[in-house]
Amino acid sequence: MELTPDILKSLIKSAQMAADHEIGCDECFDELHEFAELELAGKSPAEAKPLVKDHLDKCGSCREEYQALLEALRAIENGN
Amino acid sequence: MLNWFKRRRKEKASYETNEEWIEALKPPVDERAVKLLRQQLIRGLKPALHKYVDRELDQFVEDVAQDALLKVLDNIDSFRGESKLLTWAMKIAVREGLTELRLKRYDDISIEDLKPDDDSREVFSLTVAGNEISPDRSLHESDLVDKVMTIINEELTDKQKQAINALMIQGLPVPVVVKQMDTNRNALYKLVHDARLKIKNKLEIEGIDPDEMLNKL
Ligand SMILES: [Zn+2]
Repeated sequence: MELTPDILKSLIKSAQMAADHEIGCDECFDELHEFAELELAGKSPAEAKPLVKDHLDKCGSCREEYQALLEALRAIENGN
Repeated sequence: MLNWFKRRRKEKASYETNEEWIEALKPPVDERAVKLLRQQLIRGLKPALHKYVDRELDQFVEDVAQDALLKVLDNIDSFRGESKLLTWAMKIAVREGLTELRLKRYDDISIEDLKPDDDSREVFSLTVAGNEISPDRSLHESDLVDKVMTIINEELTDKQKQAINALMIQGLPVPVVVKQMDTNRNALYKLVHDARLKIKNKLEIEGIDPDEMLNKL
């Protein structure tokens, strides 16, 4: 393993952001439908479910799924 | 005869409430409800997935909707009504579709072709953006690198080292690392989370301020 300054920075940042309690992808998925409805209703899902918000910020795969879910739900709402 | 009667009685013109949906999707399954749900899933999946699919979107989306429906029917008992049933079902369908696409994407593409995603808050699929080395590297820099390497080597388990190396140092995408390590996304996230915490705590014990460290780099 070789560390360049950029990699080192990313590594330190990601360690720095580590919270004692973070949920994993499965727990995030378990609550994602509720989170999405709060967002679509203009309520604040981040306040209601901060651990889900934190996971979505930190996990690209779950975030990608969440964004696609919002897009799908909006399309249905608009009767696309 | 009785079954036929029950089945007929279950058919409705529309399904407004979660109770109506759940009743219709529990065995004996109301085929009309399944058909309606399939249509809705397809309507949502198309705009959500079109940017990932370069051809035969319709066929792909229909297959995904079908696989998702089976999961919905299998897991209908676990739906606790915290959202509309359609939202929950769509969540299952979207994950189904993206999982399928990722498997395809990384089956066909060589590792060198993979595009890193740069998001400063991202810690899981951390990739290395623009690997430029500043001309005036400070003297302290090599000390810092050594310190972090020592922490990694002394504090992390072999699996954690492997995951950190693959994700953060080589910048490989999560699905590739999941496959390499024969694990799943959730377990990998937790493994990396433990590793990040260990590094954070060790820095703290050693009296190293991460912000100061970042400023020096
Ligand atoms: Zn995740």
